[in-house]
Amino acid sequence: MVTKLRVLLQIAWRNLFASWLNVIIGLVILGGTFLVVVGGSALDSLDRSMSRSIIGSVSGDLQVYAASSKDKLSLFGQMGGGDADLTPIPSFARVKEVLMKVPNVRAVVPMGAANAIITSGNTVDVMLARLRDAQKRMQAGDASAKAEVDSLKAHVHHIVQVLKEDRKNADKLVDESAKDPRAEEAIERVSKDEFWAEFDQDPFGSLEYLENRIAPLLSDGQMAFLRYFGTDLDAFAQAFDRLQIVDGQMVPQGHRGMLLPKFFYEESFKLKHARRLDLIKEEIEENHATIAKNADLQRMVRENMTQPREILFQLDPLKTKEAAARLQKSLKTNETDLEKLLVQLFDTNDQNFQEHYRIFYSDLAPLLELYRLRIGDSIPIRTYSRSGYAHSANVKVWGTFNFKGLEKSPLAGVAAPMDLITFRELYGYMSPERRTELERIKQAAGAQDISREDAEAALFGGSGEDAAGTEGATTAIDEAALFDSGGAARAEETTFTQADIDNGIFINAAVMLKDPGALSQTIQDIQAASDANGLGLKVATWQEAAGIIGQFVQYLRYALYVIAIIIFLVAMLILSNAVLMATLQRVREIGTMRAIGAQRGFVRMMIAIETLALGTAFGGTGLALGAGLVALVGHSGIPAVSRQLYFFFGGPRWFPEVSVTNMVIAYGIVLVVSILSTLYPAMIATRVSPVVAMASDE
Amino acid sequence: MAAIVSISDVYKDYHLDKVVVPALRGITLDVHHGEFISIAGPSGSGKTTLLNLIGCVDTATRGVVSVAGQDTGKLPESKLTDLRLNTIGFIFQSFNLVAVLDVFQNVEFPLLLQGKLSAAERRKRVMGLLEQVGLANHARHRPSELSGGQRQRVAVARALVTQPQIVLADEPTANLDSTTGQNIIDLMRELNQKQGTTFIFSTHDPKVMKHAQAVVMIADGRITGRTTPEAAALHAAGGAH
Repeated sequence: MVTKLRVLLQIAWRNLFASWLNVIIGLVILGGTFLVVVGGSALDSLDRSMSRSIIGSVSGDLQVYAASSKDKLSLFGQMGGGDADLTPIPSFARVKEVLMKVPNVRAVVPMGAANAIITSGNTVDVMLARLRDAQKRMQAGDASAKAEVDSLKAHVHHIVQVLKEDRKNADKLVDESAKDPRAEEAIERVSKDEFWAEFDQDPFGSLEYLENRIAPLLSDGQMAFLRYFGTDLDAFAQAFDRLQIVDGQMVPQGHRGMLLPKFFYEESFKLKHARRLDLIKEEIEENHATIAKNADLQRMVRENMTQPREILFQLDPLKTKEAAARLQKSLKTNETDLEKLLVQLFDTNDQNFQEHYRIFYSDLAPLLELYRLRIGDSIPIRTYSRSGYAHSANVKVWGTFNFKGLEKSPLAGVAAPMDLITFRELYGYMSPERRTELERIKQAAGAQDISREDAEAALFGGSGEDAAGTEGATTAIDEAALFDSGGAARAEETTFTQADIDNGIFINAAVMLKDPGALSQTIQDIQAASDANGLGLKVATWQEAAGIIGQFVQYLRYALYVIAIIIFLVAMLILSNAVLMATLQRVREIGTMRAIGAQRGFVRMMIAIETLALGTAFGGTGLALGAGLVALVGHSGIPAVSRQLYFFFGGPRWFPEVSVTNMVIAYGIVLVVSILSTLYPAMIATRVSPVVAMASDE
Repeated sequence: MAAIVSISDVYKDYHLDKVVVPALRGITLDVHHGEFISIAGPSGSGKTTLLNLIGCVDTATRGVVSVAGQDTGKLPESKLTDLRLNTIGFIFQSFNLVAVLDVFQNVEFPLLLQGKLSAAERRKRVMGLLEQVGLANHARHRPSELSGGQRQRVAVARALVTQPQIVLADEPTANLDSTTGQNIIDLMRELNQKQGTTFIFSTHDPKVMKHAQAVVMIADGRITGRTTPEAAALHAAGGAH
């Protein structure tokens, strides 16, 4: 038997390279196994690195939410935008108590996510808010505030003069009819010294005039979408230990407030010029891009050169002079006009970029507000609840954060963690204080009606710019009303206890496990505990909870399987056909073997072993090549060239590993395909009669 | 002496589509141990069909074919295969060597199928035969590296390696030039005389026939006579005109 097998193997081996057809089939098999090994290993590694990212930054190992929810939990938001419709769960304390008794559960962190629109005011808005603040303090008897008021007044006056200058230039390009007489009038009035002389007689009236008429004329205001989630911040920081504070501090225990993702903070609040310089620097240093060759970088340089306004607006007359002097010296030029100096500063190329970058940060930046929102400031968060009510709250930003290893990933910090108490209010959860506050808001809304008429008139009669302006005006009034009523402002400063956090609604909760490997068992345990205690919870794995992003790898895997199956099906058909052809070519040989005493089983074996040899040889080569490639790449790692990749790679570099499972699977498939494809040819071969051996040649 | 091959009143029909083509029409023939006989007749006379029946690669439509005492019509396919393997050696018109195996392996092949001998015994047996057919120096050559005569000598060695009782050769010289064909027949005769193996070969070549002890003349599926080689050769030569 062994010797028989030996001669069969020998025949198989010799036949392997006897025909070009075999080599081609072999290459198909080789390609198939190569793909399965490389693709499978890559996806496995991607799955691992991504799970690190998602588990470590958003979801935890598992998520629980109300089983009665209409939609499925989707931590990154839903496909068509908007949030999943989830039923709030009334008491976190109860859920925590039950879940913590499940042996494998390490921590339970309550959560609830929502989207908000935040409007960061433009430069004048910021100035005016500060002016209002200083004015109040001055009236309250703070003597030091006087100097601040004067400086701010001078600054706003300066801005208006720059604005006027600007519009004079712009007017040359548009004809008379496109001008807005109300805007002209406002600028004219505010740029005159009389306005400022009269300012102190009615400071708040003047402020309101500036807020309503001047602020909207500056186009550098920003609207941003913010995704936030309410959570027990301390528990969150503990459970998600890759969280690190970058600027400012963690929200202190028992205090209201939020943290902003560092990436979001930079993108949304940093002075555009500075942000663009940072981005150019990063591209040059990390991706070895050059301004000369990269169109994106050229665009950023151009934008910096053509929009010096934003910087000019920020500087009062004194600082303008100082800035000009510093730039003159650093750029070694006689130019005195700051605008032209700025253009010169931002006109960067690959030779002078680093130098100009340094000048910007050492000379100019100290004179500027680099961030529109300072750490410690509050931002008005406005969100729409399911009931249709708009809820808003001023939420203090205590600091910015990111996740270790995912610093550059925008996805790892898509949502801003906020204290759960504020979240509940924004969610529409009616606390007693909230009820009374709502009354106040309604009153404020009554006052808003008047200005809405203005808005309509502007909408149907005026230019788009003006319409936007009136919108700004309503916002300003609304906020002013809120501030004056003091409700939100006071709520912002109240503190709360752990019991307040625990005894209240939440939407979903992250569950961290002691042993993440025992995922499916723990899901069952949690489900059982929930059912036994009537909590009505639904358990989702991190993949399910992360929605599309979490299942991204799963989809890729399906795609890979489909491709692999197609390849192998095709391989099987070709293989079967080729083996059949080879068999028919060898009818005489087979007939001879049968004549001199080979049984049918021997012939069947011969065909099977030949195809197996083909599969083994080429499949093995594909396997080795695939594993080799993965090992090679895994050794040095693949750098995350785009920001998005940081998240999928779980860090700046990705190290795929050879997966033994994938190799075994790939090899198994090859062998099965080989065997299957010989069935028919082998059957034909066994039917070859020994008589054919006796037939004479054609 | 008992006949090693005994054929009595055998008919063989072939079916071509719906037409029945009779190939053998009532053949009766005994071949005795140690004979060296030739089956002669024109193309289509039924020579090959008769050899197929004797060689157990085919079975009769009617009548009894008995080989080494076994009625082949009553044996299942696998038993017929065993009978071929252990009792009969084959030499084919176009040699039919396995192209991917070398000379030694080709000759060894039936022994591997038998699985009775050890590697050393096989080696001794194969090399001994290659010695006899004069190809001991070519043991590691592939068939494609040999001449036609050499290939047929390899086939002869392969046919004899299992020490069969009967060797069947279907037109063994048809693809060889006359000198080489002569040598093959001489070799067969020599082995027949030395080892007493029964040889049955078909041919239509008078020069080959004359080496036979007896010639069975066949035409239209019937035996027309059993004569001496000389008479047969005369007959064939006459018939050839």
